[in-house]
Amino acid sequence: MNKMQSKYIPMTETMFYILLSLQEERYGYGIMKHVETLTSGRIVLGAGTIYQSLGKLQKDGLIQPVKEIERKKIYKATTLGRKILVVEAKRIAEIYKNSEGLR
Amino acid sequence: MKNKKVVLLSGFRKVVPAEYESWLESMALEGWNINKIHQRSSLWMIFERTEGKKYRYVYDLQAFPRKEYKTTYEQFGWELVGKMASVYIWRKEYIDTRPESFSDAASLKKRSQQVLWALVLTFVLFLASGVLLAYSYLSTNLQGANWATIQLILGECLIGAMLIYLGLTMRKIYINRHL
Repeated sequence: MNKMQSKYIPMTETMFYILLSLQEERYGYGIMKHVETLTSGRIVLGAGTIYQSLGKLQKDGLIQPVKEIERKKIYKATTLGRKILVVEAKRIAEIYKNSEGLR
Repeated sequence: MKNKKVVLLSGFRKVVPAEYESWLESMALEGWNINKIHQRSSLWMIFERTEGKKYRYVYDLQAFPRKEYKTTYEQFGWELVGKMASVYIWRKEYIDTRPESFSDAASLKKRSQQVLWALVLTFVLFLASGVLLAYSYLSTNLQGANWATIQLILGECLIGAMLIYLGLTMRKIYINRHL
């Protein structure tokens, strides 16, 4: 946990949204569509980025493949993945709180 | 009007992945098209005259791709044009926004890093062969023979030239690693 925490936190926006999407079972293209909707089209993840990120997250045990349907490999976040995501979300909430009143 | 265009050594002239992509894209826009890339394509490529096409090309080196590599790209609508060495060339036709396969800085950098690793490995292999050549010359008693000396010098010069080329290529890719 501590090792992964120092490796993943702070997280890139890409990693954050992929991990967030994988709180539900999803496959590569489905993750991209979900993130596009969440960010109103601001973030459009590319195929190479998704492929690289899923490989890294799986290797580190933050996500795991759950099944394969019609050549689509479906992933879901593990308990560790969820813990890391929560730590990161708290960090972002703190940034949000501390930057209130700016402008 | 000519309907074919042969390009030699494209893989050695455009070494930075992003440069290679934009070169293929500008060829397609001018109406020079290639539908299949082969192992030999880094040495010679034959383009055919078509109408101008707006393609986004992607250069992606994957030495050991996982099973879902191709299907991931295909789900995103990319067409595999082919593979040279471990480099996959993908493309997608588009109208307005040029689509990206590497959508953030971290993954672009990783793409370059993979090319750099392949070059480092090649560099080490050439370096080892240079050392081995010198060692085999010195460890036998051929040192007096003129032909053996000439062979050694020629061999070392070729290897040296290759090492310089590889070194310069790595430097160029490293400098452009965020592209």
